[in-house]
This record gives sequence, C-alpha cells and structure tokens, in this order.
Amino acid sequence: MTCLCFLCVSRDYDELSSIMAVCIAVIAKENYPLYIRSVPTQNELKFHYTVHTSLDVVEEKISSVGKALADQRELYLGLLYPTEDYKVYGYVTNSKVKFVIVVDSSNTSLRDNEIRSMFRKLHNSFTDVMCNPFYIPGDPIQSKAFDSMVSAMMVQAC
Amino acid sequence: MSRQSNRTSDSKKMNSELFTLTYGALVTQLCKDYENDEEVNKQLDKMGYNIGVRLIEDFLARSSVGRCHDFRETADVIAKVAFKMYLGVTPSVTNWSPAGDEFSLILESNPLVDFVELPDNHNNLVYSSLLCGVLRGSLEMVQMAVDVRFAQDTLRGDNVTEIRMKFIKRIEENLPAGDE
Repeated sequence: MTCLCFLCVSRDYDELSSIMAVCIAVIAKENYPLYIRSVPTQNELKFHYTVHTSLDVVEEKISSVGKALADQRELYLGLLYPTEDYKVYGYVTNSKVKFVIVVDSSNTSLRDNEIRSMFRKLHNSFTDVMCNPFYIPGDPIQSKAFDSMVSAMMVQAC
Repeated sequence: MSRQSNRTSDSKKMNSELFTLTYGALVTQLCKDYENDEEVNKQLDKMGYNIGVRLIEDFLARSSVGRCHDFRETADVIAKVAFKMYLGVTPSVTNWSPAGDEFSLILESNPLVDFVELPDNHNNLVYSSLLCGVLRGSLEMVQMAVDVRFAQDTLRGDNVTEIRMKFIKRIEENLPAGDE
C-alpha cells in the first residue's frame, strides 16, 4: 500500500449545453426503479408510464441481439421509440441496469453522440454512487451528487 | 505480504478504488456493529493506533529519515514523506500556533473518501478518524504524545480536510506497546 494511481481522471465530462432531458430514470436489473426524476412542471405520472413502457423495448433490443454477439453488444441502445411529444433513449450496463432518458420531440437540434455522452456521464455518476460504501445496492438512489448531475442534464422548468 | 527481504523505498502501485472500497467496507461494517457514531470513531481511532505502532517501524526502515530535532521537522516529515509514501498525497503544513506546538495538515484530497457521501443519520461520524489513530500511534512509538483530531472534513461540506495536531509531551520512559 504505497502509491495510489488514480485511474478515473480521464473521464469524459463534456459540456452539454444544447440538449436537455425532460425525464431521467435508472432501473434496476429486476426492472424496478432505482431513480426517476422528471421536469417538475409536467405530469410526473405520464413519465413513469413512458419509462415503464420503454422497458419492454429494452428487453426486446437486448434479446434480439444473438447470444454470441452479446459479448460485444454496445451499451447504448439508441432511440427506443418516439411518441408524439417525446423521444425515449435507452442504455443498458453489462450488469443489466437500465438508464432511460426522455427528451422533448420539439428539440430537434440534438445529435446522437450528445445523447451518448449524456448516458456516459450518467453511467460514470452511477458508478460513483455504487462505490459509496453507505449506499446499499438495490436501494433507491438518494445521492446529492447524483441528483445535482441529473439536474444539470434536465431542462430548466419553463 | 512478506516484504522482509527488500524494504526499499520503491513504491508499489496499488489500485486506489480497491483501497477506498476496502476502507469503506470497514467503516460501514463498524456502523452496523455499533450503536452510535462516537463509538465507531473510537474504534476507528483504536484500529489506527494499532496500525500506527506497527507502521512506524516500516516507515523508519524504508524512509531512512533521521531523528527530528523539533516538532516542525516532525511535521514536515509526516507531510512530505509519510503521507506521500502511504497515501500518495502531500498535505501542506500550516496554521502553526505561536508556541509552535500545534499545527494543521491540510489535505486537498483525501483518498479514503473518494466515493463517500455521508448519509444524514451519521452526522457525528468522523469517517477518516483511522488516520488520527495512525498518527497518534506512530508518534507515540517515537516518544511523542500528540493529540490528533479533524478540524475540517470535505465530507461535512468543508473545502479541504484539515487534521489538527497538538504536541502534548515527550514520553520519557519507554512504555510497553500494548494493544489498548
């Protein structure tokens, strides 16, 4: 125990200025929510419903990829489904924890790699939460750091 | 780990996450085992003390620093050699009392608390109090009684971590090293 090498300096914390999410959810392996937050001014229940619906698509996407390819499967699942008002994007970690981001359809300026970097940021932050010795895996996430990171990614209530 | 053969000053690399998580597991287990935070702090300090009384031998053998002539020199050795060797950080030594018997170690980053967020029900927990015990134990082995405590902690929202050390007295006779 002599010298500590800090491996996580090269994490990607891009500035995400243009795109904003309206709802962000983290779903456990067993498909129950660990964390879900939406823009406060809007109908919260609707977002819960949207996220819940998206889980079926996530399952479908995971299982559609053949077993052999599963090893190299990309974590980012892309656009899950568009509704009239929203676009729903998904991401699954190798431990089958799902991240779902809902974006307003009117926001046309967003690019795919911006969504990707949002997920990457979310994943890094989630990893930090998991590494907190006081966090019990499987419990709802109550971390302030995670909260503020999510807030930064959400659209400002207008 | 048998390192008897070559106690050189080469620094072995170690994964910092593993180290941080190991310490985290230790603290959370203590929190489960003991009712209140004060008791956990006390246990951590005691463990640190037991580490310190052993670690000082390793430190002296590997660092080849000589005898310190005053407390200021001791402070410098602790900050620049000991912390660097065992934790990979170099705290700064500041806030000397006018009498020169008390100083602060300011840690910009504390490798023990990398991922930690203190939950609300552990307000009195001094998460890194193991360090206090280590410092106290090791200095006791070189005939110095010191009082060590945390003055600031990043876990409690402070900007830096500050360890306050106060020189109490020189220990004249060699007390047998007990495990308390």
